[in-house]
Amino acid sequence: MAESMNTDFLVIGSGIIGSLAARKLALAGASVLILEAGPRVTRGEIVSRFRNSTRRSDLMSPYPSVPTAPHPIYQPTDSGYLVQAGPYPYPAEYIRQFGGTTWHWAAQAWRNVPNDFRLHSLYGVGVDWPISYADLEPYYQEAEEIMGVSGADNTGSPRKQPFPMEPVIEPYAMRRVRERLAPQYKVVSNTTARNSVGYGGRPACCGNNNCQPICPVDAQYHGGIAALQAEAAGVTIRVNANVYQLEHDAQGRITAALYYDADKKSHRVTAKTFILAANGIESPRLLLLSASSKYPKGLANSSDMVGRHLMDHPSTSLTFDADEDLWLGRGPQSPSSIGTMRDGDFRGQHAAYRLDFTNISRVDGATKDLISRAVFGEEFERQLRFASAREMSLKTVLEVLPDPENRITLSSEKDSMGIPKPQAHYAIGEYTRLGHERAQKDFAAIARLMGGTNLRPSKEGAYANNQHICGTLSMGRDPAASVCNEWGRAHDHANLFFCSTGVLPTCGTCNSTENGVALALRTVDHILAEQGIKPGTAAAAAGAPA
Amino acid sequence: MTTDSAIAAITETSARPFNPGRRLLLGALLSASAAALVPWALAEPVDNAEQGAFLGVSALLVGRLALEPGLAQRLYDALVAQNAQFPTQASALLAQINERGLTAATLQPALDEAQSPLAPLPRQIAGAWFLGIVGSGENAVCVAYEEALNATIVGDILKPPSYADGAYGSWATKPEGAGHG
Repeated sequence: MAESMNTDFLVIGSGIIGSLAARKLALAGASVLILEAGPRVTRGEIVSRFRNSTRRSDLMSPYPSVPTAPHPIYQPTDSGYLVQAGPYPYPAEYIRQFGGTTWHWAAQAWRNVPNDFRLHSLYGVGVDWPISYADLEPYYQEAEEIMGVSGADNTGSPRKQPFPMEPVIEPYAMRRVRERLAPQYKVVSNTTARNSVGYGGRPACCGNNNCQPICPVDAQYHGGIAALQAEAAGVTIRVNANVYQLEHDAQGRITAALYYDADKKSHRVTAKTFILAANGIESPRLLLLSASSKYPKGLANSSDMVGRHLMDHPSTSLTFDADEDLWLGRGPQSPSSIGTMRDGDFRGQHAAYRLDFTNISRVDGATKDLISRAVFGEEFERQLRFASAREMSLKTVLEVLPDPENRITLSSEKDSMGIPKPQAHYAIGEYTRLGHERAQKDFAAIARLMGGTNLRPSKEGAYANNQHICGTLSMGRDPAASVCNEWGRAHDHANLFFCSTGVLPTCGTCNSTENGVALALRTVDHILAEQGIKPGTAAAAAGAPA
Repeated sequence: MTTDSAIAAITETSARPFNPGRRLLLGALLSASAAALVPWALAEPVDNAEQGAFLGVSALLVGRLALEPGLAQRLYDALVAQNAQFPTQASALLAQINERGLTAATLQPALDEAQSPLAPLPRQIAGAWFLGIVGSGENAVCVAYEEALNATIVGDILKPPSYADGAYGSWATKPEGAGHG
């Protein structure tokens, strides 16, 4: 084994959060290396894979798993990488590749609402965050300026500075939904890392309706861009570097990371400070894999909290035919939602939720449905146009409470690199189910207001997953009940930090990425101050518009 | 259109640039009742009876949509590559359509009723044309995307995903042809 490299800061994972943390460190003059398990892939390759895909609605289709850094794949068959311990399936999707999973996000860049930070104090459920909304507000802004977030100031998350740009123009279909649901429901534009004007050297959206699985023009920000920006700031990113173990010294300081290259040759990298940014599943997996005689339960795990409190956003949905032509599929895919149930006293009894409208083209889905029903000939053409014009769908984005029994552990099975696979233990609790039940009233009212017919609710008891993996590295004040402190530092290791959605102590009702990025930017500020390093200039750090 | 006028249509289009000495016209392979269902397709040139059977069944399944010859060839080749029996099966299916006067609406129920081994064929052929995808699971291949007929059916209003709707904000206006109620 070669002593292959030494660095000040070693970041494990080149996703949007790890890359932006690394970039901020590099802009301050630090020496930073990122080890990325997966390969380097370009946008052009991914667009080509999408257009040649046999499963265009499978968001993972353009992101095949590679044997040297496998990730979960479920279609056409489950690769079995993420082992399911039950009782409820948790088919999380993520991408191990240069830039990570946000290559195929919908660019939903939400802030929490302030009360999300005080769930236990206010409503007697879940836990409080160790910080407040006010603590995080400047870092939300910093994240939004780097990512280029567009939005309007009507979503319940107060701000001191304006959005970097106005919301992307509302698609016709969403305008009709907003008009017809008013005044009973207030439909708002989603805040998204999607350009409504040229920003950061990237163009405004031109309505390709392919935000997931790949924006073909980079009108939306994603981890691939973050990783390139990190490199431009001086970060070295080594791909095909699958970290399988962290080493520590007698004092509990992390000393080195061991990784396999694509030939399964092992390398060792030493560093002064380690940042684990390998998502909410791979990060706890690595901590558990790094068990030693001093830390038999794994690193950062004296509390036995690593991997526990796994949360995501389960969704239930209603699809129906509106009584007018809407033609979903023009403009961005996920432009509008209803946020009135994101907070309220009801959170003592049931889950909060957002109601999210899709604007994804119905054409492929309707085609498959018609073929399965053997509708052929001119009738196919007639029905395809009808479904494409009239079909609409909305879903709940339900809060899940942190439950220690929902967790990531190591499986007894090994992956293609001979490393124990991650294993998910997951259940949908009564709190979440009651939120779904409450949302049925909204579903019914919205269908009525849209003149809906042919109502097709999701199957009762079935929850779709949203890939917002949270909680498994949770931050908190009590070292016995959390994994890291408010700065993302492991309670057990002075030089190990977590930059990941895994640190979120509760999941709220919004996509987790912006919370993860903002917390990471705050963590980096703390590290820089602690080490006496002057931050990079604000303009450079914010990635000002080109 | 009557069979007579369909034949007239063949005559009209027979000046298209292909070698008639080496090819058949699709119309020659169809019974009068089947031909009456797809009069627009009767002039399609075919290389041989098997490929013609595929085109004849395709014409019935896709309705009045044009069968672009280059795409037809690629789909046919892909179907044959997946299933060496496909030419024979397509011929057998066309024979049933011809003999029993089956239509787009009655074809699948008739095959299901008879528990015919040909029952999977209509969905396979329809999937090829409408989705551009041949085969299933690990063996599936993508033959077409932008040219798949489900894209062209709505092409006056929707671009295939990953293609721009237009300049920024083009999606804000009511699409041409979209009506209320």
